[in-house]
Amino acid sequence: MSTIQVENIVKSFGSQRAVDGVTFEVNPGEIFGLLGPNGAGKTTTIRIILDIFKADVGRVSILGGPMNEEKKNRIGYLPEERGLYQEIKLEQCLTYLATLKGLSHAEATKRIGAYLERFDLAEHRKKKLKELSKGMQQKAQLIVTLVHEPDVLIIDEPFSALDPVNTQMVKDLLLEERAKGRTIVLCTHQMHQVEELCDRIVLINQGKSVLYGGLGEIQRRFAGKDLILRTPTPLPAVLPGIDAYERTNGGYHLRLSTGSDPQAVLAGLLSAGITVEQFEIAMPTMDEIFIRVVTGDTPNE
Amino acid sequence: MNNIWLVFKHEYSRHVLRKRFIIAVLSLPLMALVIIAASFLAVGSGYDGRPAGYIDQSGLFAHAQQLPVEKDEFMPPIQFRAYMDEAAAQADLENKTIQALFVIAPDYMESGNVQMIALDSPGSQVQSDFRSFLVSNLLTGKDPNVVDRLTKGSTLKIKNIEGSREMADNNFLAVLVPIIAGVLFMVSINTSGGYLLQAVVEEKENRTMEIMITSVSPAQLMAGKILGNLSVGLTQVVIWVLGGVAAINLLMRASPELEVGSLITPSYFWLIIGTFIPSFIMVAALMAAVGATVTETREAQQVSGLFTLPIFLPLWFISVIMSHPNGVLAKVLSIFPLTAPLTLPMRAVLTDIPALEIILTISLLILTAVVAIWFASRAFRLGMLRYGKRLSWKEVFRRA
Repeated sequence: MSTIQVENIVKSFGSQRAVDGVTFEVNPGEIFGLLGPNGAGKTTTIRIILDIFKADVGRVSILGGPMNEEKKNRIGYLPEERGLYQEIKLEQCLTYLATLKGLSHAEATKRIGAYLERFDLAEHRKKKLKELSKGMQQKAQLIVTLVHEPDVLIIDEPFSALDPVNTQMVKDLLLEERAKGRTIVLCTHQMHQVEELCDRIVLINQGKSVLYGGLGEIQRRFAGKDLILRTPTPLPAVLPGIDAYERTNGGYHLRLSTGSDPQAVLAGLLSAGITVEQFEIAMPTMDEIFIRVVTGDTPNE
Repeated sequence: MNNIWLVFKHEYSRHVLRKRFIIAVLSLPLMALVIIAASFLAVGSGYDGRPAGYIDQSGLFAHAQQLPVEKDEFMPPIQFRAYMDEAAAQADLENKTIQALFVIAPDYMESGNVQMIALDSPGSQVQSDFRSFLVSNLLTGKDPNVVDRLTKGSTLKIKNIEGSREMADNNFLAVLVPIIAGVLFMVSINTSGGYLLQAVVEEKENRTMEIMITSVSPAQLMAGKILGNLSVGLTQVVIWVLGGVAAINLLMRASPELEVGSLITPSYFWLIIGTFIPSFIMVAALMAAVGATVTETREAQQVSGLFTLPIFLPLWFISVIMSHPNGVLAKVLSIFPLTAPLTLPMRAVLTDIPALEIILTISLLILTAVVAIWFASRAFRLGMLRYGKRLSWKEVFRRA
């Protein structure tokens, strides 16, 4: 059974339709990417899942039913609008928020101590939040999201404001959480992070889900006519099944002619006595797919 | 329930353990203490406890009794020493064992002549004490009740026609105490309302609203905040009231002729409770509503000024209300919900307010409180995730 089910939800603010028929499911133990350009309706979708907003139409189920108070302790949420109490001390703030997630004061203090060590924040524990840098505050917010060991993590743009070292740390952390069996919804528009982390994605544009499925499957759908070939042998001017090719750094970029099969091309190359060091179907990057979908292009099929 | 308690604890300790709160709480009783101490000092500095002497040439006071001294009296009556000859008395006057010397003329009964001799100005009490000394000794052997009445005089009481209320001329404290209590109460409602306002706006300023409502329910959050911040105000009142009781005790000990009790009747007590509880809720809800519609603390303070000003408006007209407690102004102020909490109890001390008027006022207060709660919860729901943009009041009324 899926951890989160979103069925055809619609939400309008005044005359503006923020979410317009979004449907997807998140499976247990996966990192699910909720993608889309700015203003696509990602955050509104998350807020509907968390019952901060009510959907006008449609149905949402999380952890096997509608959202309720008891489930709040099983969910960790890192909102896009980051916020912690600026006027109180770091440790005090984190402990307060952790106890609201159902931890005892002693347990909260213990776990927060460990996280502060891990996130290099231990020496700042007695400082007021407003004295900390943006990156430190973001790490502190991540602690709030993780400290109660939730079953579901919903994380909105976790990498903004982080330097490469901390970005890597957060990535490792997310993979670690997945390894522990947690379900993670990662909301972002940083596509290279998606490629590294996500198992499946949904892409939302102008309130509608426009792309949904496993990452590899989607890339294959968009993978088109390009082949990558590495060979020490110089290529003849004409190759069967290939419209054109160009030399690239250390290899060739081949453009498949319509109707021909990559496997037949490979066989042809081998029978022509060309030494094949590398032969692969060029997968489009998520960035490319993102841009193509958002600008209205369709998959190559 | 646990979550309400956690929010409550957080809100409460955040304010109460701060230096600012402790200073705010202590400043008022400290100021009162300073004023009381200063007035005691002013009175006490004029007091001279040394005995005085007298020479009785009339023979009327041969077996004179001293004025009775009560235990723990702040300024006990002066003792009078009898001298047979003027030389010894003069000597004691010179070496300051007595502060003054009275010479009672031989024809005292007819003329009432007494001469007072002193080196420098004697204590403030010595003359009146000597007068009492003479009177009480002349009355020796009379019925003690008669003596008592003659020395203490009569107590004038003013009553209304129905006889339901009365006011003695010596219990001005009875008028003052409810007014002061009312002002203190409203001050602390206002303070805690201010804290509450800040606590709601702060969630927006810090952008913690989403974290909070995905941890606790909005109702738990608001309940914890309201209880926590109003308890801060309550703590303030309790400390002040304890201080006030202590001060009144001190004052009573110094001047036992003051009476506080008679005006604080059960019906007056219930009137106060009936007025203050809805006003408490009204102010709290209004503050929460403002907190939900605005985005910054500074803006919140400006907007909340719109209704904290009318709350204290009656104080500006206090002399008008006191001299014409049934005048048009007093009536209007005591019916209008924002000015009622201070005006109604003030008028009730001074005049009989028709029951219908009281019912009208309290009903209006309750109605305003209910509307304010409705408004606040609506504004909270609509405004809680609005950052940087103010929620217009029109919007709150219009949208669901």
